[in-house]
Amino acid sequence: MQRTTHFRTGAILFLLPALLLFTAFFLYPVGYVVVVSFMKWDGMSSPGFVGLRNYSALFHDEVFRISIRNNLIWACAEAMIQVPLAILVALLLARKPKGWKLLRTIYFFPHVISGIAITMLWGAIYNNERGLLNGFLRLIGLSEWEHNWLGGLGSAFPSVLVYGLLYIGYFMVIILADISSVSQSYYEAASIDGATRTQQDWHITLPLIRGTIATCVTLAMVNGLRQFEQVLLLTGGGPANNTSVLVLYLYKELQNFHYGTANALGTVLIVLGGLVILTVRKLFNAAKYDM
Amino acid sequence: MKKRTLWLTLPAILLVISVLLSACGESANSGEASEIEIKFPSIWVAKDSKAATFAQIVKDFNEQNQGKIIVVVEEIPDYGAYKDKIRTNITTGTTPDIFSFDNPADGELYYKSGNLADLTPYLDEQWKSTFLDHAFDNAAYDGKVYSIPFEFGVTPVLYNTKLFKQAGITGFPKTYTELFAAFDKLKAAGIAPATQMTGGDGWVSMLWYSQLVSAIGGPDVYKHGLDDPAFVQAAEVLKKLFDYTTGDAVGLDNAGAHFLNQQTAVLLNGPWFIGRIKKEGIDNLYDSVEVAPAPVYEGGKGQAGQYIGFTQASLAVGKQKDKKKEEAIVKFLKYLTSPDNVKKLSLDSGSLFVIKYEVTKDDKVERLQTEMKKGMEAAPYITPHFRASVSPAVGAEFPQALSGLVLGKYTPEQFVQQLKQADSK
Repeated sequence: MQRTTHFRTGAILFLLPALLLFTAFFLYPVGYVVVVSFMKWDGMSSPGFVGLRNYSALFHDEVFRISIRNNLIWACAEAMIQVPLAILVALLLARKPKGWKLLRTIYFFPHVISGIAITMLWGAIYNNERGLLNGFLRLIGLSEWEHNWLGGLGSAFPSVLVYGLLYIGYFMVIILADISSVSQSYYEAASIDGATRTQQDWHITLPLIRGTIATCVTLAMVNGLRQFEQVLLLTGGGPANNTSVLVLYLYKELQNFHYGTANALGTVLIVLGGLVILTVRKLFNAAKYDM
Repeated sequence: MKKRTLWLTLPAILLVISVLLSACGESANSGEASEIEIKFPSIWVAKDSKAATFAQIVKDFNEQNQGKIIVVVEEIPDYGAYKDKIRTNITTGTTPDIFSFDNPADGELYYKSGNLADLTPYLDEQWKSTFLDHAFDNAAYDGKVYSIPFEFGVTPVLYNTKLFKQAGITGFPKTYTELFAAFDKLKAAGIAPATQMTGGDGWVSMLWYSQLVSAIGGPDVYKHGLDDPAFVQAAEVLKKLFDYTTGDAVGLDNAGAHFLNQQTAVLLNGPWFIGRIKKEGIDNLYDSVEVAPAPVYEGGKGQAGQYIGFTQASLAVGKQKDKKKEEAIVKFLKYLTSPDNVKKLSLDSGSLFVIKYEVTKDDKVERLQTEMKKGMEAAPYITPHFRASVSPAVGAEFPQALSGLVLGKYTPEQFVQQLKQADSK
């Protein structure tokens, strides 16, 4: 009994520095963001309290509405397209077809490269005049489909969004790792009962890796809410703010010396992040899975 | 148990490291420094046309003041990143010893922050007399001078005579009616008439808009704010100008490239672009480029030959606790802005400055720079560009509102409304 008490005191003492750092570099800044969101401040002169004015201004603001819409589309697309694709590929690779290790590396490879480099690469692909995409369309005789992909009101957002969904390696590796931890005895029993591989995946693998899928969906959705560099580098939020997302809008508001609005946007992001986590936990009944 | 021990030791190790690091920092600070170090984050580096001469000036100064003062240049070639850094520094009270800024609208906020050194006591008659008249008009705030105006920008029309000839046009059009007629000819000859852009800060199109706004509304147009009908009318013409540009104009952020590759015949830009025409332009491009003032808008309040001009770079000093350091910084500023050094910078790069210097017959002055200077001196008046005349938020919204206008999302009235809204937060 005494040993346990000693251990607890030791643990608290040892955890204290980390807790202090966490408070100084996370809790305090987040609190500060919320406080400043109620102020009108240009970042230079002294701030003034304005109550909920920053929030009401945001909710009447077209760019804010576009940004929220884009972020939600992004979060849903990642959860409903990227994660299922990752699951599918992971299930196929888990059957260990010939060359599966090489394939696994290939799928994961884009995550080793900086996101900025990949985005710039896609910027070159979409380029209106010299880009690969228009060049390819010309080559196959579809030159009437040529388009200023990142400059059109309708095409800019899908163009910015869609390529990110192709990079599934990160989630695939997590899911694949979890699949490999499922005991072989379940599959042996199922195959004795005559279950096909697909039936085994559907009735054994998927239910057993539900916790991991929930984690991936949460990560994907939060990723969708945090989008920034893809938009900043490809379109800067344009044309006519049509590709704007919350973090980019926040960044621009900081540049415009609207610190109050920027912090209100930060607070909205924190709340959205929290809501996403709660929704996913609810949907997957994930409390059971130690998420 | 082993794992647990590791878990518990980790924060302790972190703590020890952070204590050690902070101790190192302290010892470095407490060391007595006999040499004054001046930190100068600068954009006049890398590919900038002033980079080589600027580096030489700093080197010369450091040699002359060896053991006493050393200017350390922090190279930041990306202008957007530079702006972000300066703003963050000022907001957090870590203002650099010297820095430059381009927009008077930003400058005013910097002055208000209280983090800039008051340069009034150092600005004696002798130093002041080396500057052009009215150079300090926008540099004062509350009766005190917080920045030294340095580089001056004018943005006339640059046009490619070779392409004009191909389309059968002689000379640059004097009115907008003539301009559109000439643009039709260029288009018919398969040449994209003029460069436009909505990417980045929309710089080139912002300059067209500035030309149009003052050609329609006259030199005092900004006094009436965005309510002046000239802003809507200018938007209509600007929208039409987008029918005469490259297919990638919406979203384009490196507008100079098309002109340098001879894909477009007209570009609005300043003297700093002369260096790029020589270095990056296709063979003999420099010889085909001529300068002209923007056309007159028939029925508008503007006059022929009007120029868009503005202080392109001002130098400011961060507030100093140490008087000796402040004096050292001013010593360097005086050196950098001395007529001799400014002359070197100007002749090497083509850029214009607000500091007077003598040109002798032996000096090799750029042809285009001389033409720009002549045009500027002959101009009936000079107005600043749009972004320098509105709040930073309106300037930032411009490219977005413009792309909406060009793509038909906004009418010219809605375009101006978008700009007004950006200001209201």
